[in-house]
Amino acid sequence: MYRETSKIKFAIGDDNILRTECFPDTVMTLEDGQESTRISAEMVNYQPLPLLCDLTNVVKMSQACRNHFSGPEHAKTFSKCALIVTNPISRVIGNFFLGLNKPLKPTRLFTSKEEGEKWLKSGMI
Amino acid sequence: MLKRTEIQVANTTMLWLSGQDFLICNSEPDGSPNEAVLCEYMSSVDDDSRITNILDMIGSIASLDFSRQIETSDRHDVLDAIALGLNMLSEELNVRVVDKAKLDEVNAKLEKFAYTTAHDLKSPLNSQYGLLQLLELNLDPNNREASEYIGRLQNVNEKMKSLVEGILAYSVAHLKDVTREEVDWHDILNEVIEVDSVSNHADVEVTGKLPVTYFNRTAGIQVIRNLLDNAIKYSNKQRCKILIDVNSQDDCYQISVTDNGPGIPVEHQEKIFVLFNQVEPSLKASSVGIGLATVKGIIEAHGERIWLKSKPGEGASFIFTISKKSTP
Repeated sequence: MYRETSKIKFAIGDDNILRTECFPDTVMTLEDGQESTRISAEMVNYQPLPLLCDLTNVVKMSQACRNHFSGPEHAKTFSKCALIVTNPISRVIGNFFLGLNKPLKPTRLFTSKEEGEKWLKSGMI
Repeated sequence: MLKRTEIQVANTTMLWLSGQDFLICNSEPDGSPNEAVLCEYMSSVDDDSRITNILDMIGSIASLDFSRQIETSDRHDVLDAIALGLNMLSEELNVRVVDKAKLDEVNAKLEKFAYTTAHDLKSPLNSQYGLLQLLELNLDPNNREASEYIGRLQNVNEKMKSLVEGILAYSVAHLKDVTREEVDWHDILNEVIEVDSVSNHADVEVTGKLPVTYFNRTAGIQVIRNLLDNAIKYSNKQRCKILIDVNSQDDCYQISVTDNGPGIPVEHQEKIFVLFNQVEPSLKASSVGIGLATVKGIIEAHGERIWLKSKPGEGASFIFTISKKSTP
């Protein structure tokens, strides 16, 4: 299953992991975050699934958006979350998200998609 | 971006950058300036300006100005990552400062409400106390059941009065604009021992000379009174012993109040200064869990610190600092 917005591409594979990736130079606002959660919730049919979120192309994420992603609505949509950070900007965003926003669902940073997928699949039925 | 003005002299191009720096570039065969040299120079100047912005931003954050944001470039390099990190940090701190200000306002309103409520409750409680005494005086001495009920009502009344007085003391303990005066802690201790008849309940020993410092006298009395009262109330010995010691540091005195009581279990130590917290609420009817919270409030309102040292079975030491500053 595949969907996209002007900023984000969403895909669910056979492994039941939802993968998201932004288009280059994406600035994420609260509205983008809310829209992303809504689309994700529809795609996972309101049953929490693991999320592999590639932050590589994100150049800015507002405080309100980070708060949204760390809050209950997002935690209802995803069981755990692997954030892929491959450059200094995405690393800063990822570290802020983990350190200051303290997401409610299990969340970790990875520098490669393979590592992130391995962690997401661990403990999956 | 840097402003660029070119001046061509023979085979050499002179560039006038940002109205400040000259750069001389050898011309290309077609007469244009050497772009590689130019780009390298402009990039280094641009990096300097980005680093200056970052340093200015750090300065703003250090002076608690969280309104500033640095513009990031489209290079997405390490400098951009640092700038973005500082922008996000500033944004988060700003949100937290606003949240704290709102919380402080709510707390101030709650404290005012608690003070007003406690103050308004004081008068009917005093009337009730008087009426109970009258009732006791006029009671048939043979009516033991009624006498017992009146005794219980008096105990409940006493406890409510303690609670109301405690809330009143706690509400004023947090006032930051306390007036300070020269106080002799030895006098304060003697006054509390005398007024509260402490010697009927405990032996108080002082080692060293208690200092003379600047402190709010009423608040100082409250601190000593509550600490002694706490030691006596929770004593499990036939005779409560309290040792008061002074330790002179570079810029402050550390005064410790140590008792020979049961000590405080480790799991209770962190919460001992929290309002309405009681180690063993069921065992101490006269305790309402306000005394130590009030002491902490007073000490911190004076810019000082208080902490506890205790091992179960070996008593407890409450240690607080008092500044040596010689002016109020």
